[in-house]
Amino acid sequence: MTSADVARTTIVVFVVLAVQHALLDSVRIAGAHPELMYLLPIMAGYVAGPERGASVGFAVGLVADLFLPTTFGLSALVGCLLGYGTGLATAGLVRTSWWLPPLVAAVATSAGLSAYAILGTVLGEPRLLADYLPAALAVAVPAAALFAIPVLRLVAWAVPPATPAGGAEVGGAAR
Amino acid sequence: MARTRRTRRNRGTPLTIVLLVLASISIITLDYRGDAHGVISGIKRVAHDAFSPVQSGVDAVVHPLGSFLAGAVNAGAIQQQNARLRAEIERLQGQAAAHQDEAVRLRALEELDRLPFAAGIPTVTGQVIGLNSSDFASTVTLDVGTSSGVAIGMPVVGGAGLAGQVIDVWSDGCTVRMVTDPRSAVGVRYGPQGALALAQGGGSDQLLDIAYIAPGTSMHRGEVLTTSGLQQARYPAGIPVGTVTSFSSSASSTQESVTAKPVVDLDALEYVDVLQWLPPT
Repeated sequence: MTSADVARTTIVVFVVLAVQHALLDSVRIAGAHPELMYLLPIMAGYVAGPERGASVGFAVGLVADLFLPTTFGLSALVGCLLGYGTGLATAGLVRTSWWLPPLVAAVATSAGLSAYAILGTVLGEPRLLADYLPAALAVAVPAAALFAIPVLRLVAWAVPPATPAGGAEVGGAAR
Repeated sequence: MARTRRTRRNRGTPLTIVLLVLASISIITLDYRGDAHGVISGIKRVAHDAFSPVQSGVDAVVHPLGSFLAGAVNAGAIQQQNARLRAEIERLQGQAAAHQDEAVRLRALEELDRLPFAAGIPTVTGQVIGLNSSDFASTVTLDVGTSSGVAIGMPVVGGAGLAGQVIDVWSDGCTVRMVTDPRSAVGVRYGPQGALALAQGGGSDQLLDIAYIAPGTSMHRGEVLTTSGLQQARYPAGIPVGTVTSFSSSASSTQESVTAKPVVDLDALEYVDVLQWLPPT
C-alpha cells in the first residue's frame, strides 16, 4: 500500500467512526446498535484479499479499542481475523451478484460478534455470550447487510486490491 | 448466480496474519495484566481529546438525523415516556415551563442540587452526551472531564441514587460504567441491621443480582439497598443503589436469589452528578 492508500484508508476509518458515534450509537434496539466498524475489515478482505484485510482489520480494531471500555487489543484481534477470514473465503468468488456483499457482510459480522463475545468471555468479561450477544446479532447483522454496499464503495476507493506475484487480481474479478 | 471458480488463490504470506495475531495477543496480555495500563490509558486520553472536536462537529450536523432514527426505532417507548412525563408535569406546582423538555431538565437539575445523600462531597454536574459505544457494555459518555475535576474511579449519581462509576476520562469528557454493567459490583447494606451483600450488574436493561445473602433471610419487596462504604470500598456509604424486586431460595441453595431494580432510571438519564470522591488506595 502506498502512502496515498494509507491516507485514504485513514480518512475512511475516521469517517465511519464519526458516523458510528454520532448516528448509530443512539439507534438502540434491546440495548444493541448497528456496528459499522466490523464492516471495514470485512469489506477490505472482500475487496483486497486476506492479507490487506488482516492489516486493515488490525488497524481498525486498534482505533475502535481506543473508544471502547473492554480489553484493549480485543477488537484488533477480531478485526484482523475477520479481514483475513473474509479475504480467504471470498477469494475465488466471481463478484457479479448484487446480493453477494450484503450476504458476506451479514455472515462475517455474525462471526465477528460471536468471536468477540467468546474471546471476551475467555478474558473474563462477564455475561457477553448470554446477555449481550443475542441482541447484538439481532440488530448488527441486518444492519451490516443494509450498509454493506455503501461501505464497500468507500473501502474500494481506499484499499486497492492486492496483486499476487502472478499478476492476477485477488478476489476473482470477472474475466 | 455467483459461481465459485478455481482461481489462483492469493496464498499471500501467512506471516502477516501470524504477526498481527501475535501483536494483538501481546497487547491484550499487557492490558489484561495491567502492565501497560498507564500507557494505554494515556493513549486513550489523547485519542479522545483529539477526536472529540471532530465528533462534536459531526454530531452537530447529523444529530437531527440521529434523533429521527432513534425516535423511529423507539417510537412506542417514547410515546409511553411522553405520557408519563406529561402526568408528572401536571403534578408539579410552581414548575411552569414553556416546553416539556425544559421542565424535565429543570427538575433533573434541581434534584441534583439537593441530593439527600453523599453530604459534604463536592460534585460536578454533567450531561449525558453518548450511549454505549459497544454492544457488549453498559456505559454512557458525559461532557465533563479532567478539566472539570473528574477522575477515574469517581462515583456517578442521579437524583435518586447511584448510577455508576467513571472508568475512563479525558479533558472534556468521561466514560461511566453503569451499575447494570456485568463488570459492576457494588457493596451494599440492607435491612435494619445493615447486613452486607454485593449488587452485581445483570446487563443492559436488566435487574441487579444481589449476592451473598443467606437463604431464608427476612426481606421484602421494595427494600432499599444502599452502598456499604466499608473500608477500601469503591463508593461512599449511604447512596441508594436499588430496590428489591424478588427473592427466593431453594432447599439446596447456599444463598438467597435476590434481584433489585436500580433506583436511577438509567434509560432516561440526562443530567448526573460526579462525586469528587476517590476510593482509598
